[in-house]
Amino acid sequence: MDDEGNDGPQRLRLLASALAGRNVAVAPARPGEPAWTDGMTVYVDAAAVRIQQVESVMVQASLLAGGGLEPEVVRRLVRRPALARRYLAVEGHRALSANEDLLPHTVRSLIDLDLASRATSPAESLTMASARGHIPDPPASFGVIRARNVLSANAATAHADSQAAHVPRREQKKALADLDDGDEGDDVTDPFSSPVGGGGALGKALQHLMSRVRQLGGGGPPGAETPTHRSHRGIRGGGFVTSTATPPSDLDGFKDSSDDGWKYPEWDVDRRRYRPDWCTVQEIEPPVQPDSMLGRPDVHSLRRPLTRLGIGLDRAHRQAQGDDIDVDAAVEARVELLAGSAPDEAVYLDSLRRRRDLAVLVLLDVSGSAGEAGTFGETVHEQQRAAAAALTVALHELGDRVALYAFQSQGRSAVSVMPVKRFDDRLDSTAMRRLGSLTPGAYSRLGAAIRHGTSVIAEKAGTSRRLLVVLSDGLAYDHGYERRYGAADARRALGEARRQGIGCLCLTIGAGTDQGDLARVFGTAAHASIPKPTRLGDVIGPLFRAALHTADLRRRVS
Amino acid sequence: MPVKPPRPYYVPVANEEQVFKAAFNQGLSIVLKGPTGCGKTRFVEAMAHDLDRPLITVSCHDDLTTADLVGRFLLRGGDTEWVDGPLTRAVRDGAICYLDEVVEARQDTTVVLHPLADHRRQLPIERLGITLDAAPGFCLVVSYNPGYQSVLKDLKDSTRQRMVAITFGFPSPDVEEKIVANEAGIDHDRAVELVRLGQAIRRLETGGLREVASTRVLIAAGRLIAEGLSPREAARSAIAGPLTDDLTVTRGLVEMIDVYLADEQA
Repeated sequence: MDDEGNDGPQRLRLLASALAGRNVAVAPARPGEPAWTDGMTVYVDAAAVRIQQVESVMVQASLLAGGGLEPEVVRRLVRRPALARRYLAVEGHRALSANEDLLPHTVRSLIDLDLASRATSPAESLTMASARGHIPDPPASFGVIRARNVLSANAATAHADSQAAHVPRREQKKALADLDDGDEGDDVTDPFSSPVGGGGALGKALQHLMSRVRQLGGGGPPGAETPTHRSHRGIRGGGFVTSTATPPSDLDGFKDSSDDGWKYPEWDVDRRRYRPDWCTVQEIEPPVQPDSMLGRPDVHSLRRPLTRLGIGLDRAHRQAQGDDIDVDAAVEARVELLAGSAPDEAVYLDSLRRRRDLAVLVLLDVSGSAGEAGTFGETVHEQQRAAAAALTVALHELGDRVALYAFQSQGRSAVSVMPVKRFDDRLDSTAMRRLGSLTPGAYSRLGAAIRHGTSVIAEKAGTSRRLLVVLSDGLAYDHGYERRYGAADARRALGEARRQGIGCLCLTIGAGTDQGDLARVFGTAAHASIPKPTRLGDVIGPLFRAALHTADLRRRVS
Repeated sequence: MPVKPPRPYYVPVANEEQVFKAAFNQGLSIVLKGPTGCGKTRFVEAMAHDLDRPLITVSCHDDLTTADLVGRFLLRGGDTEWVDGPLTRAVRDGAICYLDEVVEARQDTTVVLHPLADHRRQLPIERLGITLDAAPGFCLVVSYNPGYQSVLKDLKDSTRQRMVAITFGFPSPDVEEKIVANEAGIDHDRAVELVRLGQAIRRLETGGLREVASTRVLIAAGRLIAEGLSPREAARSAIAGPLTDDLTVTRGLVEMIDVYLADEQA
């Protein structure tokens, strides 16, 4: 293992995250530029000596941990570089000393204890910095505070958050920074966030563009104005091409009385009762694009944990070891022994797992948020798709009944469920091509999708052990389906499924956010978040087993 | 008279020793919850020593059957012979029976614990047609790691409510420094560095890591240092390696190790 590493300051990412207490990226700044952060990424000079890079990361990450870059403080530093410098000198030492327990010896010598002890909070540091007293310049390794960059990054997340958006990809900030666009300063390339979704110039432009488009569209039902994902603005900017399977945005055009489609109730948490026949689910054949063939997923790591699942216990006779004596075999062995021949020593009964008895339906969330950039340079959708393919192929090869459906929605009357592979379909190149052709877009109404999946499993699965696996990157939103309401409805739908003895679980792949909402809806025991599809093998064993246990219990009770 | 072995090294973090002993005296069953490598097993060993009871440990795995716990008939020549399983032995002898990672056990296996765990304190042995009353001093202790799943929902509600839960976390830095120094046999300053590194790793949101750095891996690193490896080498082998297989994450961890640990011979 080489000490230096050849991929620049990014290698300090873990260190920065540990000190900041949350996920923070590290990226190279322009040569000669002092270190700075926008709250999500710490930029350090790649050409600087290593110890200075480390110190810079520590200072900037400690600032983040200590709350020294909260918008209410930073806003007062905009266009006042001298004040920002004095503030950094005080607050940098204060934040370091607050984080002192975590710092290595080498860096602790950096702290000016005298200065650090004079302020106990970012606000006090700011007061000190504004006062006249002499404050020594911060060491060069402290870097600088770029108030505008912090605020614009904050504004991007806070803006999306304030509109009841999808769980944002990054740390949420409470305050919404009011920032005019003139403040969009030097556009430093940020390799870690989506070019359209983040606070970058392109994202801003698209946000503006899209808000106009939505207003022109007008006339939708209440809630139609509400964006559901931060990135939607960017994605839907492509002219609605993304939701090929859904009807146009004219929601009222779809009457509830249309013949095709399944009607499902929805739980209204405010009135504590069901809204009967509220959602209409259409099964739509997904379009197949010719060049969309997916390569064979690597199912090797999945095979082992999955092999042990869903296998019924069988009593096996005449085993060499086991729980009980197989009386027939024992008598025979005794007779043979008395008759003078060599007896067979396999005289035990054992319970062995042999019979496969499992049906799995995979529900893939293809709403717009999945189009966002996830970890490791792929979009969340690509990662979810890879995971779905791996799961489906692995289960199919083990002889389980498996189905794969994708879902998205445009309001309650247009919930689209796309069968990529039905239980009875063959898992062939057509199915893989269908999967490859899926494009994220529109919204998602999780409750209706779960109810439809439940009814498909109940009708078609034909096994006693049944699992519903949802692959989603965050709690869904739709028209009139806000976070709290949607969470309650989805939880209700899961309860209905579990009462029928169907185990439910949820996997989040590649999304770097906190998935607290999903974990609360599914229960922590039935939700796992993994950074990339190849890690699937680590979690599915326990997750599937736990879900099957729960379902078994329910089935036995009922 | 055999000499009693010394007490296994265990430093209490909170009131867990009092809770355990109180539950033991009252004949209550105990569930230990906590992340891997935080000292659950060592705690039980220390308690068994303090209470002067034999300790029978069963590491549960997902093919563990009821017969593995309770016992089975074997054929010896023309006769059958009953062989007690570890649980039955503990019930007869009044030992502490410790089921490690009970969540791994098959569900039909944990059912046998139900009458033992609640106020009846009985072990029905179906194959023998008898019901054993637990001898005084018997104590059922189960442990699990509340990572993905909870075994408690697999136990009956009635049983769950008769179990006393003790929750473990990682010890506070000063306690952990003491533990690492003592267990690994290294000087206190080295232990402080290791613990500081461990604290930093635990602050990471576990996106890239399956588990955070436990006290156990810190001790392992310490023991390598005691053998003469440099702190960095030791930490790479004992901390970075076991925590992840991912190259990017490994590189990040190595970077953290280099920042926190000096690179000279111990």
